[in-house]
Amino acid sequence: MDGEGQRATVAWETGTLAPVDRLRTERADSPTPGLVEGTEPGAGGKSAMFVHAQSFEDLTAEAEEEALRGAELDKSEEDCTEELKALEEQHNNDFSSDGRAKEEDVSSEAWRSHRKHVFVLSEAGKPIYTRYGTEEALSSTMGVMMALVSFVEAEKNIIRSIHADGCKVVFLTKSPLVLVGVSRTCQSDRELLRELQYIYYQIVSLLTLTQLNHIFQHKQNYDLRRLLAGSEYLTDNLLRRLDRDPGLLLSAVTCLPLASSARDVVSSSLQAAKAKSLVFSILLAGDRLVTLVRKKDQVLHHMDLHLVFNLVGSSSSFREGEGWTPICLPKFNTAGFFHAHISYLEPASELCLILVSTDREDFFNMSDCKRRFLERLSKRSAYQTLKDALKCPSYSVAQVGIPELRHFLYKSKSSGLYTSPEFPVVYESDEEQERLMGLYQDLHSCLHHPTRPLRSFYRCSETENLLAWVTSGFELYLCFSPLATKALAVSAVNKLLKWIRKEEDRLFILSPLTY
Amino acid sequence: MSAMRVDAKVVMLGKESVGKTSLVERYVHHRFLVGPYQNTIGAAFVAKPIQVGEKVITLGIWDTAGSERYEAMSRIYYRGARAAIVCYDLTDSSSFQRARFWVKELQNCEEFCKIYLCGTKNDLIMADRSVRQIDYHDAQDFAEEIGARHFETSSKTGSNVDELFQAIAEDYNDTAFQYMTEDTGVDLGQRKDSYFYSCCHNN
Ligand SMILES: Nc1nc2c(ncn2[C@@H]2O[C@H](COP(=O)(O)OP(=O)(O)OP(=O)(O)O)[C@@H](O)[C@H]2O)c(=O)[nH]1
Ligand SMILES: [Mg+2]
Repeated sequence: MDGEGQRATVAWETGTLAPVDRLRTERADSPTPGLVEGTEPGAGGKSAMFVHAQSFEDLTAEAEEEALRGAELDKSEEDCTEELKALEEQHNNDFSSDGRAKEEDVSSEAWRSHRKHVFVLSEAGKPIYTRYGTEEALSSTMGVMMALVSFVEAEKNIIRSIHADGCKVVFLTKSPLVLVGVSRTCQSDRELLRELQYIYYQIVSLLTLTQLNHIFQHKQNYDLRRLLAGSEYLTDNLLRRLDRDPGLLLSAVTCLPLASSARDVVSSSLQAAKAKSLVFSILLAGDRLVTLVRKKDQVLHHMDLHLVFNLVGSSSSFREGEGWTPICLPKFNTAGFFHAHISYLEPASELCLILVSTDREDFFNMSDCKRRFLERLSKRSAYQTLKDALKCPSYSVAQVGIPELRHFLYKSKSSGLYTSPEFPVVYESDEEQERLMGLYQDLHSCLHHPTRPLRSFYRCSETENLLAWVTSGFELYLCFSPLATKALAVSAVNKLLKWIRKEEDRLFILSPLTY
Repeated sequence: MSAMRVDAKVVMLGKESVGKTSLVERYVHHRFLVGPYQNTIGAAFVAKPIQVGEKVITLGIWDTAGSERYEAMSRIYYRGARAAIVCYDLTDSSSFQRARFWVKELQNCEEFCKIYLCGTKNDLIMADRSVRQIDYHDAQDFAEEIGARHFETSSKTGSNVDELFQAIAEDYNDTAFQYMTEDTGVDLGQRKDSYFYSCCHNN
């Protein structure tokens, strides 16, 4: 690995951010730190754990096709401004009647000034979810939204978004649901649509699409909140993650840094604890993946994995005993439920094991798999190594040794995994972290612009300098102090890639296993 | 960690937020968690050994989620149960309606499952009698009508919680003994397991 890194410098010292297609070489004798998909640092072996090529584009394609079908958008947007006004006034007129926990006066300035609202409604205009305030208080607002959607649809158009007054309103029609995002952020329509899609899949994961369709076919006017009761906090949490978690932005998952020898032991112990109905065994440490073992030929979509993360992370209900719950992994199959055995390895531990089975009768089998896994693992020193790894912070950017570098996100495209250091002191507060995430989101939008995508992007500001760079192998976002120069930033890329290559054993899962 | 060897399957049923999880939490961990209410997702299983006379009986307790979302799925949780704790919130009359629903469901599908009707949050009544919405005698009459035992508990104070589970274990022990001596061919969900367990212990 070291030799590889050294030779890499030759190609890199001279090169800047030139296109890299001509650098296509195999990982084994790659002179550069793999710029091509499959050879980049962190690239998994032949068998990736996740659905391949789930790039940002794949994710949004669906929504965009829908939008494209609805041509003549400008016209509809014009037609809609009046309605939008009505909608805003409506906000003023709605009054919250009762006083439940989520209570917030929807006529208040505070309610209106939230950065991002999300509403879910049925095609009949019935409220299903609102991020702020109560659904009841907003029923007439949602009625207006639905009127908007159907007004435009009647003309064989599809409403995509409305821009007015520093505010974007984005619509996603996913029969039988309609999702509306109202944002004051500078995120693109596309990013907002993607977030709405996440919310849509969150709901599907609780009910399956088949059940959703069935319900609304029988009763158009059904109040879906009955079935979603008690799950609102999952959606709330998912929205919070969308603002804060780089994994959701990058369509990738991050791993707990761990010596590869220890990780291998954990993986093979999981692999050995198999059962016929078992499809995925996932070991999490908080929001980080320790390992994932899967059935041959079955791959998990990172979006489904994020939904699982969200389910586990949002609820303390799995803390005690062993959970056994139906879960639909919508990117895998929107029609049916898997059954997940969810439990923590030890009472106060962060380590949570999720065993996804196809058989709802198989609880005791899954329970036995867990027991076998633990039995095997606890005999080995790898378990202690794992527990020690949980105790220390993942890594600081100082370890990379690049002056002025404050933070970065690096995603290996072929493995769907990303790595990033701890936030440095400057970004310690929640507000600062969210602001940095906002900056990364902007960069991400530029790199993934639907018509004018950029390969690299450098931006200076008073507070930090940013560099983003995408190749067919990876995506990289760097954050420097305002003292850094562009030349420094560019040369840092090379150094960072070399460092990641050197550490990739620890930061990524290079050899994922199947049963 | 040892292999799960369960004698009697016990299922907790009832409307959401009536206090099923709190009841299990109190019984198994002797504590009452304050803080925001966390509804159960799907169901949670916990095995708990309990002393009955000379014997130790392991209850396999299924704490189900009250949300309607899981109703279609509920059979997998209560099938083969030897005891069902059907909970209602003493301060919420709608939860009693829901309890009736579960009783009917059990009567139709699980004839060998003994029902324990449990009014929860008794401490709230103790603090302020006016919040009671379900009369003790009404519930008692209903329990007699369906051949169930009736308890009023508080997970906050612990009142009557151990008694409830102790009753379940003792009732189970009595009937299990009966089945063993009679050796009838009654088809019971957990029969195989309980025999196996008894064999292990007697030898
Ligand atoms: N005062 C008082 N509050 C209780 C008692 N038992 C439960 N609660 C409260 O009632 C709420 C719901 O309790 P849970 O035990 O989570 O209810 P559950 O029946 O498990 O609800 P689901 O999982 O949604 O079906 C919580 O806020 C508890 O603190 C009790 O005995 N006394
Ligand atoms: Mg519960």
